[in-house]
Amino acid sequence: MLRDPLLRAWALLIGLCLASTVLALAIERTSFAGLAATGAGAAILLLAWLKARIILSEYLGLAAAPFWRRGFGIVLALYALLLLGLYTIPVL
Amino acid sequence: MSETVETPHPLEQLPGDLMMWVLIVSELLVFGAGLAAFLAVRIGDPAGFAAAQDHLHRAAAGLNTVVLVTSGLLAALAVRAREAEQRLRTRCLLAGASVLGLVFLIIKGMEYADKAAAGIGVETHPFFTFYYLLTGFHAAHVLAGVIILGLVGWKDSPRSVEVGAAFWHMVDLVWVLLFPVIYLLR
Repeated sequence: MLRDPLLRAWALLIGLCLASTVLALAIERTSFAGLAATGAGAAILLLAWLKARIILSEYLGLAAAPFWRRGFGIVLALYALLLLGLYTIPVL
Repeated sequence: MSETVETPHPLEQLPGDLMMWVLIVSELLVFGAGLAAFLAVRIGDPAGFAAAQDHLHRAAAGLNTVVLVTSGLLAALAVRAREAEQRLRTRCLLAGASVLGLVFLIIKGMEYADKAAAGIGVETHPFFTFYYLLTGFHAAHVLAGVIILGLVGWKDSPRSVEVGAAFWHMVDLVWVLLFPVIYLLR
């Protein structure tokens, strides 16, 4: 178990990066289509949002500033939803 | 008599330099607009975008993400080392972060060379217009970041190291948003 918050953040980021890459390769190599592919895309965007939150909180130090961490988290979530909306329009 | 605990003003809670945060938000807005425009243009030709994306090397880009995230860790550890007055350790960590930044640029350069060899340019498809524009602009930031890390390693006041590392984390932050949208979303 990693006790250092920076090392823990790094390990989480690596895990999330690998998860999104594996997910994308799975979409490429299997017959994911339609809603399944869109769901996988949504998962990739969710992972991107989590990675951005970790960098802001731990690398940039917003963990010590809850007001700003919350604010950035909300704006990033809204932005991820905008990207998700733009991404899903072609399959609607 | 009861004591009142004053909570600091939100601006005082913000870690590091305020102007660096202004820069971070500005850069996020620029790249954010670029990525949203990319997905908006994709609406008109999702199959063409998917076919163009198949020319990208996702695993190499994933490796580059690991490289940049690890570089960010070294920069964050450098800030901590400088606060603890460990100047040699600070410089070693900043050098490590810079080297990984150069590794990122080498992998990116190989990727561009591969595309050029395949005859893929800016005008091949709108996908590649955005690809070159966004990843090229980001690569320029990585190069600037490597130079900045070198400078703050040389003039290593705690404030300089913190500001330099914050710039580097901004580059990291942009990449973790850019990577999935350009390379992974199909």
